Amino acid sequence: MVAGLMVATCLSAAAVAQTKKEYRYTVGARPNISVETQYGSISVKPGNANEVVVTATLKSNDVEVDHQQNGNRIAIASHLLRGPDQQSGQVDYELLVPPDANINLRSSSGPLSVEHTAGDLTLEGADAVVDVRDVQDGHVHVWTMRGPITLTDVRNGHVEISSISGDVHLKSVSGPLIQANTSRGKIFYDGDLGSGGDYKFTTHKGDIEVLVPSDVSADFQAHSVLGRVQHDFPLKPRHSRFREEVGRSFIGTSGQAASEVVLRSFSGRIRLKQR
Amino acid sequence: MTCSEVQRVLPELLDDVPEGAFPTAFADYAFADDAFADHVKSCPACSDLVSDLKLIASEARQLAASDEPAPRVWVQIAAQLRHEGIIHEPEQVRRPVLVPSGARRSGWSTWWLAPIAACLVVAGAYVISHKPAQQMAMQNQPAAVTAPPAAATAVTPSPNVSATPSAKSTLPKTVVPHPPAQKSVPSPEGVESAAKADIDPEPSADDRQFLSVVSTRAPSLRATYESQLQTVNADIREVQLYLARNPSDADARQELMDAYQKKALLYQIALDRIQ
Repeated sequence: MVAGLMVATCLSAAAVAQTKKEYRYTVGARPNISVETQYGSISVKPGNANEVVVTATLKSNDVEVDHQQNGNRIAIASHLLRGPDQQSGQVDYELLVPPDANINLRSSSGPLSVEHTAGDLTLEGADAVVDVRDVQDGHVHVWTMRGPITLTDVRNGHVEISSISGDVHLKSVSGPLIQANTSRGKIFYDGDLGSGGDYKFTTHKGDIEVLVPSDVSADFQAHSVLGRVQHDFPLKPRHSRFREEVGRSFIGTSGQAASEVVLRSFSGRIRLKQR
Repeated sequence: MTCSEVQRVLPELLDDVPEGAFPTAFADYAFADDAFADHVKSCPACSDLVSDLKLIASEARQLAASDEPAPRVWVQIAAQLRHEGIIHEPEQVRRPVLVPSGARRSGWSTWWLAPIAACLVVAGAYVISHKPAQQMAMQNQPAAVTAPPAAATAVTPSPNVSATPSAKSTLPKTVVPHPPAQKSVPSPEGVESAAKADIDPEPSADDRQFLSVVSTRAPSLRATYESQLQTVNADIREVQLYLARNPSDADARQELMDAYQKKALLYQIALDRIQ
């Protein structure tokens, strides 16, 4: 019973320490918004055209929120007051931003999520799970160490993803430049590869799987130094300076070769599949 | 007190120095205990380190009054770097982002990560583009595989520290590290056995210093950074061993470059994230 009372006391103390703060900013077109927190989630959703609303949930009094607006630029950062501590230092952020905002998010623990925006995105995190969905017409740059990365419904994007151990899932992602690179993670792409885009997926040990429709239009080039490479639908041979090696690489064209696709791994398996 | 202890406690001591009190505190070590002061007074290396910080702190005070530091700051730093042999010939000093702009940031101790990260990328590019693969792969066997160059180990921050993977193309040649010294070429059998024995490669001195900083500034992230560092080091080692046997494999050379970029990414994330 004593133990139960102690636990209850601790829980209530923690509940008291948790505070929620809201910040509102008036901005112009395409504002730049950055949020940085060592520990905690950051979620971004579309709001009103000329207003940014930031709701910060602080888990303790050992952390505060530094915030600053300089014209069209807003910078938010968690400030650990008593040294690094994941429990007491956590701040969760929820942002409502103009749809055309340029957004820069950093969190070691994450998760990081952005949806329904049309500006440039830069997301960085160590273990952070990254989820980007329904964005268009912007640069999407994502870095993680081992946090998995998922992009869904990205249109006309300039996408650059890099991770050390995180898996990369791309669903209906297209644009002039789509690059994903992970050392130990896997890369999974499911989409039509757009038109006129450069797609480059590389891993060190992780597998690469690309799922495309039967009417896909792309030049393919795949090579794994030590792993297996295969495709399950016919490709028209094309001239290339690269030497094809059965089981290790393939080069070929489907449709009108609207996009260029390069798949490369050191020891991972590469598979090109038809839906 | 030893040099390493001084370097370890210095960030904490500096954190406790009130803003505006840096010059005075540095002059009489008022921020430190007797053991610290005695060591610094008797140790030329640590004395130089503190002098450098005094210079930086002094110049940093002026940053509060203007957004742009005076050109003499970079000239003085460049002169100091030349004096210490970190850069070897006169160059036009660029204007880097050297001092954190946030007044409350106390992350000076992570500055050294930036030149190391940049050097990692540059080293990878240099080695791959200028050295025969066979020679390159062999000379790193097995202990010095991932050791960044000696010039990158200096605590003194270096100008031109943009450490993103793309920084390789913008760094002046004077910052490009010397390739590792050549070692005797092992037999293929030796390479195989080294590969088998190389499950958990030893971290280099810079890696250990990197992890030490992470432990101090963000102890909860130490395990993550350590495991990811082991991952990228193992990847680098694996590709180098492969290149020892297949020196003409262009894809493997590219893979080695990618692996070095991953390591630079790791350092870069730490630089950005650790407060």
